[in-house]
Amino acid sequence: MTSTTTYQPGNSPAGLFKARSWGEWVDHHSRTFFIAPAVVLILIFAIFPTFYSIVFALSRVRFRATGLQFRFVWFDNFIAQFTGNEQAHFLGRLTGMSFVGWIFALAMTALAIWWLYRSWQNRTHWIFLVGRLISAAMFIFIGWILALTLLSGNPWGTMMTTLFYVIVGCSIQFVIGTGLAFLCSQPISGKNFFRVLFFIPLMITPLGVGYAFKMVLDITKGPLQPLWDAIGLQDWAWSTDAWAARWFVILGDSWQWIPFIFIVMLAALENVSRDQVEAAQVDGASSVQIFREITWPQIVPVAVTVILIRMIEAFKIVDLPNIMTSGGPGIATESMTLHSYFLWRANDMGSSAAVAYLLLILTVVVCASFFNYVVLGQLRRAK
Amino acid sequence: MSTSSFKYEKANRSLMERLFEPPAIGKMSPVAKVVAYGLLAFWSLFVIFPIYWVVITAFKDAAAVNQGPFYIPFVDFQPNLNAWRIHLSDPNCDLYAIGRQFVLLAYNSFAFIISPIVDIGAMEPQICRVYHAFTNSLVIGIASTALCVTVGSMAAYALARIQYKPKFGNAAIFVLLTLVMIAATSYAGIPWYVSSAVALALFFLMARAFGKHFKSTLGNGDILFWIISQRILPPIVVIIPIYMMFQAVGLLDTHLALIIVYAVANLPIVVWLMHDFFASLPVELEESAQLDGASRFGIFWDIVLPLTRPGLAATTLLTLILNWNEYLFAVFLSTARAQTMPIMVAAKNAGEKGILWWEMCAIIVVMIIPVIIMAIFLQRFIARGVLLGAVKG
Amino acid sequence: MASTAGVPVTFDNIAKSFGPVRVLEELSLKVAPGEFLVLLGASGSGKTTALRILAGLETATSGRILIGDREVTEVLPKYRDVSMVFQSYALYPHKTVAENIGFPLKVRKVPKDQQEAAIRDAAAQVQIDQLLDRYPRQLSGGQRQRVALARAMVRRPSVFLMDEPLSNLDAKLRGHMRAELKHMQSTLGTTTIYVTHDQIEAMTLAHRVAILEKGVLQQLDTPARIYNDPANLFVAQFIGSPPMNVVHGSLENASFITRSGRVEVPVSGRIDKAILGARPEDCGVVPAGQGHLGAEIYTVELIGDHTLVTVKAGEDLLTVKAPKDFSGTTGENIGITFSKDQLFVFDAASGARVR
Ligand SMILES: Nc1ncnc2c1ncn2[C@@H]1O[C@H](COP(=O)(O)OP(=O)(O)OP(=O)(O)O)[C@@H](O)[C@H]1O
Ligand SMILES: [Mg+2]
Repeated sequence: MTSTTTYQPGNSPAGLFKARSWGEWVDHHSRTFFIAPAVVLILIFAIFPTFYSIVFALSRVRFRATGLQFRFVWFDNFIAQFTGNEQAHFLGRLTGMSFVGWIFALAMTALAIWWLYRSWQNRTHWIFLVGRLISAAMFIFIGWILALTLLSGNPWGTMMTTLFYVIVGCSIQFVIGTGLAFLCSQPISGKNFFRVLFFIPLMITPLGVGYAFKMVLDITKGPLQPLWDAIGLQDWAWSTDAWAARWFVILGDSWQWIPFIFIVMLAALENVSRDQVEAAQVDGASSVQIFREITWPQIVPVAVTVILIRMIEAFKIVDLPNIMTSGGPGIATESMTLHSYFLWRANDMGSSAAVAYLLLILTVVVCASFFNYVVLGQLRRAK
Repeated sequence: MSTSSFKYEKANRSLMERLFEPPAIGKMSPVAKVVAYGLLAFWSLFVIFPIYWVVITAFKDAAAVNQGPFYIPFVDFQPNLNAWRIHLSDPNCDLYAIGRQFVLLAYNSFAFIISPIVDIGAMEPQICRVYHAFTNSLVIGIASTALCVTVGSMAAYALARIQYKPKFGNAAIFVLLTLVMIAATSYAGIPWYVSSAVALALFFLMARAFGKHFKSTLGNGDILFWIISQRILPPIVVIIPIYMMFQAVGLLDTHLALIIVYAVANLPIVVWLMHDFFASLPVELEESAQLDGASRFGIFWDIVLPLTRPGLAATTLLTLILNWNEYLFAVFLSTARAQTMPIMVAAKNAGEKGILWWEMCAIIVVMIIPVIIMAIFLQRFIARGVLLGAVKG
Repeated sequence: MASTAGVPVTFDNIAKSFGPVRVLEELSLKVAPGEFLVLLGASGSGKTTALRILAGLETATSGRILIGDREVTEVLPKYRDVSMVFQSYALYPHKTVAENIGFPLKVRKVPKDQQEAAIRDAAAQVQIDQLLDRYPRQLSGGQRQRVALARAMVRRPSVFLMDEPLSNLDAKLRGHMRAELKHMQSTLGTTTIYVTHDQIEAMTLAHRVAILEKGVLQQLDTPARIYNDPANLFVAQFIGSPPMNVVHGSLENASFITRSGRVEVPVSGRIDKAILGARPEDCGVVPAGQGHLGAEIYTVELIGDHTLVTVKAGEDLLTVKAPKDFSGTTGENIGITFSKDQLFVFDAASGARVR
């Protein structure tokens, strides 16, 4: 890293510089000292472990008295997730595709290929074309897995569960969070009270959220027990039904994260120029028209950014399913992080690292696609 | 548009218009009012109720929890302090024990520092677990926040003001050497300190030798993006290698391990938020201080930091809360000595008689009270930070 | 869309408070159909508030607003059939010029083809028809201003409201736009209420000017009458550049007495603390010992076609418009004359004109 700072005395090349004191020497090299700690920390504790993880993922790891012993096994650990004995756990049970499944899978494939063909025709630069190829491949893959599991009546694995938390969870949270923000941007009294109150869940430890919801929704001892009795569910349990358990987790996750969407969208709504809204009022627009025509187009860039941030965090979900359902029933609520964690506890480090790596790839491809095709477009339009 | 088509006098409005149109500007129509306050009330209840339930459960005993739901203290059930007494009447929880624990903490830290020279062995303290976990959380939270905010805001400031042009080739060499070093350590059994020292030496040699010939450089934007994008990295990817690394240097289950890991995990957030604050400061202030002969650190300390104090305070608070709540890293990296509050909460899950809800809730209450107070200060800021980031892209 | 050939507007005892702060005091004024009325006042005098109350963006604390013969005090803005040009223009940044101009029609669900015709028409009137596909950020200040005007015109409202629409423009463009505005208003014949703190704008544009100070209407009259016959000291000093000279003294019968001399005035009465007002062009400098007042030269500024001589008479500084060949040095004693018919006398305590 050698170049001139904007401030350095321009005519004294580093070689000729003679520091008269230690302080001066430090100042002369301040450009390095400012950034080095952060870079070194990230290199050691983020970049290095990410690479190190590859070794785990490509090895069979054994504990020996002398330490760990790695045996290089190429992609066995990954292959096991897709085709081997772990397939049902990671992808789901992939036996027999239903008619609906076929139609859906073929439709998704056609859609992705058509999109690629369009980009090809538009003479997109080859680098972007490669990016689109990866996005399309991921899209087709997810489409086929969805068709083979959900649409064919088979249980799905931790990958689809994670995507379910991300896509369904984020959508619900975005809609409700934005709705609440819109309510609070209206002329209501007690605005500040609601603002602070609605923000609080975000700050509470996910662990506490998990246990709190486990208690509150407890069928026999929870506060809603009279209700369960009334609808005849007293012998039922959250952990017996896969879908109920998944929604149970989404409920806790939404309680925690809606506040995030809420405060950001509220700030965005309040940032829209009052003059513009008033001009529209004088021009005869109703509040619905004002929201659709004036407010919404101006907050879309913030909206997609906040969704991106939320998505990035949502892929990491682990505390809530671990606490609320322990991943059960079976593997119904297990997220990929939890999957990897369980494998680690079972001392299968190679598979654990492989699943973690697959999560990283999934996260990066989905988030990067969303960023490139949605967020960037909106930001560019706002400029 | 003929004027007669406009509805003027209030009295002439139809029932529908009266229900659905605001009576005046800055007011809401009756229907909108009912719907809005209804929704707000519902959501308030939804937000408050789980917290309320945790709080009252902390004052219940086993009977009050297990014999079906009781809702209102003093009416439905008699609140008591049993759950709290279990924590506080621990014989190790008196003042003397707590004082001794401080001494032990100091001793253990000292033992750790000199351990490369002589091994005097750490002492396993007789501990009051709640207090122990609470101080652990506090020490780890504060120390790692301090580290993270210091390192992060320095980097953010540098990226906002100094032009960096790292060579793309050097980065490639670094990645290559890292991979070789890891492979050598794992498969060839070369000790990690040997391989990393060799790799590091090779890196500096090669960067010196080839650096001049590399053409393509990266800019500040790339570095910033690189740092911020670390947030995408799922912790589970790095946690096993980090576990191994700390095991190799004997730092498992120490404060230091968690402090460092938490600091790195939150670095992207700090850099992202602080960068916007620094970039929005007028550069003339710093330039004039520069002309007056201030050093770069002096400028940063005397001029830049005081100007960004509100943002700095809020970033610090946010980092502190994230550290305070963290669970996954703590599960891996701490077992007893460095156990934090969330681990302690989760431990109540493992009782033989099922979950000890009342004891667990008492700990959760202790955990969330400071956070709720901080939330009130934070709420406006976080939105602004994200807004700034979003608008600037 | 039938053209509305001018509608009267009435403020009837409008008062407005923001909490404890009284911003408008019982404002009553009638705007004639098709009139161009300018609300003039210093910053914070309540002009914008009055305009916003008329638009319905603010509710009056008491009083009534009439547009035409209908009371609209509690009517929503969208039913008032007024359009407003904001000081910031309030153009929608995500809409093109055409979409901006067409917005009032769009929300009224005017058919597409009519919309387009109306947009082109309005754009042509303010000469921005070649900019229709641009976004506001791609326009200059003057062009933005025209878009805002076109958006206000496009639906032919019964009343135009404008809040300092020219204050963001540079001096030259402002002069140009002033002329265009005036022309446009007289062709459309729409009642217009225009807020400004710039007296030149007020004098050149208005049929009548209403002067507001601290929420109180000081005078409502034609520009010429406001200049030549101010109702009180505030109006007299507010209008005119350089401002009217004031001399402190007392009124006895028909003469105004100060320490530095005595002036015959066209009014008579007896006031111990009175103020004499004289515009700079109605004063003259004469050699020392002559004229009505004795004074001493403070500064001399050559403006071009005339010279501004500032003189000190007693405690008062007076500005006199002298011929351009005037010469004098600072400190020199001179005399001052006034033309008797153009003198005003005010009660120093109340500021009221003595007639
Ligand atoms: N929403 C409000 N809340 C409280 N006070 C207000 C509000 N709006 C205006 N005011 C006060 O009312 C007074 C008049 O404001 P107004 O905007 O009408 O002045 P103005 O004559 O338009 O001034 P300017 O020439 O600076 O635009 C000011 O003192 C202002 O501080
Ligand atoms: Mg104003």
